[in-house]
Amino acid sequence: MTESRHINIHVPVLARVEGEGALELNIRDRRIDELRLRIYEPPRLFEKFLVGRSYREVPDMVARICGICPVAYQMSAVHAIEQVFGCDPGPWVRAIRRLMYCGEWIESHSLHIHLLAAPDFLGYASAPEMARDFPREVRRGLQLQSLGNELIRLCGGRSVHPVGVCVGGFHHAPAMQEVARLREKLQAAVMDARALVEWTASLDLPDTPQRFTSVALRHEREYPMNEGRLVSDTGLDIAIDEFASHITEHQVPHSTAFHALLDGQPYLAGPLARVNLNRDRMPQSVSEIMRDIGIVFPSSNMFHSIVARAIEIYLAFIEAIRILEDYEVPASPRVSVSPCRGVGYGCTEAPRGLLWHRYELNDAGDVDKATIIPPTSQNQARIEQDLHESLQVYGLDRSDDEIRLFSEKIIRNYDPCISCSTHFLKVDIHRE
Amino acid sequence: MTPVRIIGIGSPFGDDQLGWLVVDALQQNRYLDQTLRQPLTYIKADRPGANLLELMQQAGIVILIDAMQTGAEPGAVKRFESHEVENLTMPWSSHGIGIASTLALARALGELPSRLILYGIEIEDARNPVCSLSQFDIDKIVRILVDDVRQLAL
Repeated sequence: MTESRHINIHVPVLARVEGEGALELNIRDRRIDELRLRIYEPPRLFEKFLVGRSYREVPDMVARICGICPVAYQMSAVHAIEQVFGCDPGPWVRAIRRLMYCGEWIESHSLHIHLLAAPDFLGYASAPEMARDFPREVRRGLQLQSLGNELIRLCGGRSVHPVGVCVGGFHHAPAMQEVARLREKLQAAVMDARALVEWTASLDLPDTPQRFTSVALRHEREYPMNEGRLVSDTGLDIAIDEFASHITEHQVPHSTAFHALLDGQPYLAGPLARVNLNRDRMPQSVSEIMRDIGIVFPSSNMFHSIVARAIEIYLAFIEAIRILEDYEVPASPRVSVSPCRGVGYGCTEAPRGLLWHRYELNDAGDVDKATIIPPTSQNQARIEQDLHESLQVYGLDRSDDEIRLFSEKIIRNYDPCISCSTHFLKVDIHRE
Repeated sequence: MTPVRIIGIGSPFGDDQLGWLVVDALQQNRYLDQTLRQPLTYIKADRPGANLLELMQQAGIVILIDAMQTGAEPGAVKRFESHEVENLTMPWSSHGIGIASTLALARALGELPSRLILYGIEIEDARNPVCSLSQFDIDKIVRILVDDVRQLAL
């Protein structure tokens, strides 16, 4: 008997939601005939907007690409431009950039864990439903998120599309009083961040190991945020300048977002890949909690991503407190730069994974060409691969609703920058 | 006395700025400041998402002002009670946690203010981020809001 089902899941275009996603699934003879994650985001054209603009405008322009991870876009951009100018902004700027990145990880991961992912694992259709039964946990999550926003505000002037970052450093140095106040708040909440790791590890997560390649930055001493070499668990170890010789983007007809492949194969970027590859770069207290929760990293269970996010929130608290404890107001929050012609690369760890930028600048420091490869484009092929394997294991003879809900959960687990992460996917089912 | 907080929600793009412009006009008008006995604060928020919970803290009466599209005449003011907004279907995504979802979350956590009203002001096209601001009779919108907010706060 031949059974053919066509499940078409799509999100309607809604104000203030970026992108539109759909999953197309054709099943024949209880096998997946065709599986396509369709992302048809409206064209953003940022790479073209940047052409002709001064290097001074780039940090504020790229911050507009994403409301959740503007810091990542700013960081990859300033590092790339400083590489062209041969500029080293020094230890103070380096520390405050790391501090700002801690804020973004805390804010973005807290949001995803509590409002998007946790309802999936606790059996709720939405965060408000879950909040009725888990008010303490949701409140804790929102408080952690708020502290992440405060860190971004401290360094960038405001938490949405911050304006404090410039090539060479920052426009403004936080005052000692503000630093002391926020340090105390973080110290008061650090045990909440630790408790969050334990809570995520106690969730009843599906145990479905898969084979995948993790790719992340790796730094010689610290857990990577702004700097490092690109490494994988299959032997990749390259400078960020060599990214494009191993990782190539190609267009697929069913998506406006490019698919990026590592030497022709899908790969994972993001928190689980980072923890898998950098577990020996954790501060001691983070290593201890990782040992205590009993989950062994590197993990091949994609659903451990929620635990990896919580681990990174705790790490970001530890790092932010350390940086704030050592804080001193500098003579100047930035170094001067001398524009020149050249090509520069920046690759930093956005909350969702590697964010790679390449800029060609002219003699005045204006952009001749810009290339930006965001994490969602890098994870898209991996999400399709995961859906393929997971649905086969889950059972294709289940009801359409069960398959839809399970697929949503798989997609959300990657925290993609598309509206696929919604809990309100509209379903349109055709049977043949 | 119940503190009143007026929150304009918007973004810097086109008609989506309307919530902010109405808050600016209310602040300049000063009529509410002079006639209300309650402490009154104003906030302009850029797509606050779940941070709206934080912005509402310590306020007894919260007035939200946001641009909306229902097909009515541009500039028309619609008034919604909190429970009416919460029932709207809006998405949960990391980039677009809307007012409806946030208010539903606030209710679940027992953190809704004792009174919350959303004023939606009709605009023509929220999807065009580069459009310039259309002509609105801001004074008329302000007059409607001032009368209503005074009644509410009495």
